[in-house]
Amino acid sequence: MARNILCVRLEHTTRQRWQKVLYKRQSFPDNYVDQSFLEKLRKNVHARKYQYWAVVFESGVVIQQLCSVCVFVVIWWYMDMGLLAPQWLFGAGLISSLIGYVLFDAIDSGIERNQSGQTRWGDLKNSVVFVAFTYGFSPVLKTLTESISTDTIYAMSALMLLGHLIFYDYGANAAIVSSTLSLNMAIFASVCLASRLPRSLHAFIMVTFAIQIFALWPMLQKKLKAQTPHCYMIITLLFALSALMGLLTISIVGTVLFALLLIAISCLCPYCLIRLQLFKDNIHGPWDEAEIKEDLSKFLM
Amino acid sequence: MAYRREGNQEQLLSSIISTVNSHKSPACARQAHRICMVSDFFYPNMGGVESHIYQLSQCLIERGHKVIVVTHAYEDRKGIRYLTNGLKVYYLPLRVMYNQSTATTLFHSLPLLRYIFIRERITIVHAHSSFSSMAHDALFHAKTMQLRTVFTDHSLFGFADVSSVLTNKLLTVTLCDTNHIICVSYTSKENTVLRAALNPEIVSVIPNAVDPTDFTPDASRRDNNTITVVVVSRLVYRKGIDLLSGIIPELCQKYPDLHFLVGGEGPKRIVLEEVRERYQLHERVRLLGALEHQEVRNVLVQGHIFLNTSLTEAFCMAIVEAASCGLQVVSTRVGGIPEVLPDDFIILCEPSVKSLCSGLEKAISQLKSGSLLSPEFMHDKVRTFYTWRNVAKRTEKVYNRVASETVLPMGKRLDRLITHCGPVTGCIFALLAMLSFLFLIFLKWLIPDDLIDTAIDATGLNGAWTRKYLRNKKKKENTTNC
Repeated sequence: MARNILCVRLEHTTRQRWQKVLYKRQSFPDNYVDQSFLEKLRKNVHARKYQYWAVVFESGVVIQQLCSVCVFVVIWWYMDMGLLAPQWLFGAGLISSLIGYVLFDAIDSGIERNQSGQTRWGDLKNSVVFVAFTYGFSPVLKTLTESISTDTIYAMSALMLLGHLIFYDYGANAAIVSSTLSLNMAIFASVCLASRLPRSLHAFIMVTFAIQIFALWPMLQKKLKAQTPHCYMIITLLFALSALMGLLTISIVGTVLFALLLIAISCLCPYCLIRLQLFKDNIHGPWDEAEIKEDLSKFLM
Repeated sequence: MAYRREGNQEQLLSSIISTVNSHKSPACARQAHRICMVSDFFYPNMGGVESHIYQLSQCLIERGHKVIVVTHAYEDRKGIRYLTNGLKVYYLPLRVMYNQSTATTLFHSLPLLRYIFIRERITIVHAHSSFSSMAHDALFHAKTMQLRTVFTDHSLFGFADVSSVLTNKLLTVTLCDTNHIICVSYTSKENTVLRAALNPEIVSVIPNAVDPTDFTPDASRRDNNTITVVVVSRLVYRKGIDLLSGIIPELCQKYPDLHFLVGGEGPKRIVLEEVRERYQLHERVRLLGALEHQEVRNVLVQGHIFLNTSLTEAFCMAIVEAASCGLQVVSTRVGGIPEVLPDDFIILCEPSVKSLCSGLEKAISQLKSGSLLSPEFMHDKVRTFYTWRNVAKRTEKVYNRVASETVLPMGKRLDRLITHCGPVTGCIFALLAMLSFLFLIFLKWLIPDDLIDTAIDATGLNGAWTRKYLRNKKKKENTTNC
């Protein structure tokens, strides 16, 4: 017995250090708290440092989409009031589409086109087929929603445009993002609104315009943003200004509110994000569930 | 798993008798407690918590304490049952909600639990597992009834998602006025201290144990023409079965004599079946399905290497069991696993296919060169690491410490709740504690404490069961002496 105690003492003095192991009987009480307690605690491992102007730049894509919706509604308003002849809109749309088409290839000197193997003849065919079908069906569009009250149509369009903004792919990797759903909602809204225009030609041109602004314009934007960020900034600013100008001719209060919204999103929200980032307190440590980082699906291919 | 070491036990009982005879009963010198273990998880359900409660209770009974277990009814198993050595189990008629856990209202179980605590004259309530709502309920009531409380946390929890934020809040409420907390590993202690914002001094680390007599090596069962890797785990995501599905084809292509033996059942079985199908490995990858606990050893001894791919683990009994059977263990370095076995018994890897493959290859090359430790040597070492008797001894220390502490009176308890758990949650739970206090007063008025019969102790200092056993033993001894 005495020898045992002596042994324990000896061990105690020679190896005072506590070890983080369970298999050894150590001469420390079970509730012993070592200096190394919580040594492996890490905070905010995945937290990112944001630069204010970088965030402002990234918010451009939200501004662009808001402005697209605004421009679309303003144009519809002009058509509905009879202030804008459909031929003019068609002409303007055609010219801007052609410019955009040329730009789309010019920006990256046709690299993407070569990779995807898309020919110009194919593009032409697609657009002709599309325009022809829309033109053919526009009388149907016109009469499709006749039995539905105009208020319902407005409410539905508003909802759909809101949905378009919510589900749009702003570049975030979230479950809610669905570019297909978003585009479909926008086209649905355009069909609804177009059906309230005076003639079927109006309806046709309205839907074509919706395709241009909701489907083609974002594609060009993405490329612009990736290749020439400065250009993209300027274009975003101009686009926002033109949307505001357009809105100004309809309603001053609306313009002020919209301008405030744009400023809040592009300046205030990034500021809030960066400020709130300071309060982030994520705890990580050896107790976290490990993540499988590899792609394991290859083993089942 | 069952406690069936008759020989050992007789020895122990005779030692108790001898100490009784010499008027220095260890149970007398020590304080004898009346302990109530509460958890939703108990036999016939199988798992780590269940066997922990059972084995710990048995060893505490052996040490002269009175122990009862309270759990919820399992299908036709309801009412009171006695298990080995007079371990009394109450199967309460409470509705199961989710994953064998009962619904919690913080009130409905008070009448029943109060009845049991008074009937059995409980001094310490020991709740197990943070997933068990019954454990939380019992702690809440025990504190209202001014009983001492101990809580054992068996699992790790993250901090990232909404569900863990809510569970952690609940844990903060439960543990802020609990006397002592027990964790199964140092990592688990750090985790619990952070989750419930505790003072680390009131948290003890007492590891799980395995019954070494259940897990003995048997080299003759191995097929030495092949190399067999054994995996025994539930086939679920958290056990890293997806990693296993990457390791199997990778290594089977490299080593033609490599076989896999997979025991366990679960939703990820389909992944392993697909891999087996895809690479035509039916001969070499055997899926055994769910294993009874007593079959585990027979599966383990057929292998050379044990592979554990868990993504999170508080203690990991499986690797101790495997090491006890003399297998070289290859495991992921997660949670408390690095604390469990010494470095020469285990090869630790990062939780990725690449790292685990290289770990396995290292084990295979050691096996081929014969530089692995012998199974008998491993068993002899591992059996000294973790024993239930040791666990019981250390738990008893916790009980002694708790018994000398005071339970917070109602006013202080409300104070603690409000200051410790945040302004909103704290106030809500302080209100609930107040209500449960009033409910208790109402119950006391309805059925006064002295109208509740006290049960005859089965176990403990003057337990009927223990006494009878002792008397029989004495008689036998006397006759042999004569």
